[in-house]
Amino acid sequence: MGLRQRLLYLQAKSVSVRSQIIAMALHEPVPDSVTQIEPTGINFPYASAHEAVIDGWRVVSFPSPKESAITDDDLTILGYEFILEKLEQFDD
Amino acid sequence: MTSGTTIATTKERVLLNDEQTVDFIINGYIIVETDFGDEFNRGVFNQLEALPENPGDGILEAIPALGDVYAHPKVAGALASVLGHDYYMYQHRHCHRNMPGTPSQMWHLDGGTGTTERNPEHVRAVLAMYYPQDVAANMGPTALIPGTHLFPSSADRMASYGNFKDQVIATVKAGSVLIIHYDVWHAGTANTSDNVRYMIKFLFNRLSDTTKPSWDYDPKAAAALGDKISIASGAPVTQALAGLEKNRRIKMWNNLAGGVSFPSEYWDRWKGPWPS
Repeated sequence: MGLRQRLLYLQAKSVSVRSQIIAMALHEPVPDSVTQIEPTGINFPYASAHEAVIDGWRVVSFPSPKESAITDDDLTILGYEFILEKLEQFDD
Repeated sequence: MTSGTTIATTKERVLLNDEQTVDFIINGYIIVETDFGDEFNRGVFNQLEALPENPGDGILEAIPALGDVYAHPKVAGALASVLGHDYYMYQHRHCHRNMPGTPSQMWHLDGGTGTTERNPEHVRAVLAMYYPQDVAANMGPTALIPGTHLFPSSADRMASYGNFKDQVIATVKAGSVLIIHYDVWHAGTANTSDNVRYMIKFLFNRLSDTTKPSWDYDPKAAAALGDKISIASGAPVTQALAGLEKNRRIKMWNNLAGGVSFPSEYWDRWKGPWPS
C-alpha cells in the first residue's frame, strides 16, 4: 500500500490551461492497466487542463509555444501537451 | 519506378463527384460500400479462415476473389478519382487477422514500402482496406483521425497520444472498403469480442500526374465548395497550423485537378447582421 502517481496526458489547442482539450491519455499506476484507443465511446472527463486542476490534478509539465508546429524534419505534432499527476493510495 | 499490377476493369467506374472529392481532401478517407452479397463476403471470410499461414503479399493469389473487390466499379472509381485513371496496385498487401483479445495499436502511419514520400499536398498513394464481415465497435475496427494526412508525423512523436475527440471508428458493413490517404494517422483498435476480425489491406499508387480532374468534375459544383474547403473542420489543429491546413487543401485540389485551379473567390465573411 502506498502513494502512487497517476498520469494524465492532455493535448490542448493552445498553451493556455483553459484551452480546449483535443486528445487525452490516462495511465494508471497498476500493472495490468492499459491505455489504448477506445472504440466504444470516449469519456473526456475534462474540457481543459484547468478543469483537471480543479479536480485535484497537478500539472508537472507545461507545453512550450514551439511544440505544436512543423518540425525541422517536416513532421507535425498536434496540440500542446500538458502532463498532469495525481498521487493516490493504491491497494494491491 | 516501382513494380505493380495495373488495374483493369471492363465495368464503368463510378467516379466521385466534386463534393466527395473535397470531402476526401478535407478528411483523407472515404468508405465505399460495395454491393457484393453475403455469399461473396462469407466466401472470402471462409477462405481466410482456412489459410494455413499468412501468405503475406501472396494473399491475392491465395484468394483471387479479392481482385473482384478492387475492380468493383465503385472502388475502382474512387481510386481513379483520387489517383488518376492509370493508378496501379502495388505489390505489397497484407491480411490483418485481429484475434479476440488483441490490444489496440498505437497511432501510426504505414511505411517501409519505399513507394512513397510523405506529401501533404497531393495524393500519391492510398490504402484500401476491405472488410469481409460486419465490424462492430468491439471487434477491433480501424480508427483514424480525419484530416491528419495534411500533417504527417512519426510513430515516436505520436506515442503519448491516446484518444482524440474527433477520431473516427470505422464500424462498417461486410463488403465495405475504407480508402485512406497514405498519410492519415490510423490504428487498429482492441478486439474485445469473441470473433476474429479480418481486414485485407492493398496499396494503390499514382502512376502519373493528371492534366485534368479524374473525378466527375463539374465547375459549377466545384465553385460552390469554396467555403467548405476553406473552413470545414478537419484535423484537430492548433491555430498555428490552421492556415497551413487550408493552404494544403487547396494545393492538394490543384494537384489532383491538373491544370484546373480551385475556383476560389474573395468574399466578405463579416458583412451581415450585428451579433445579438
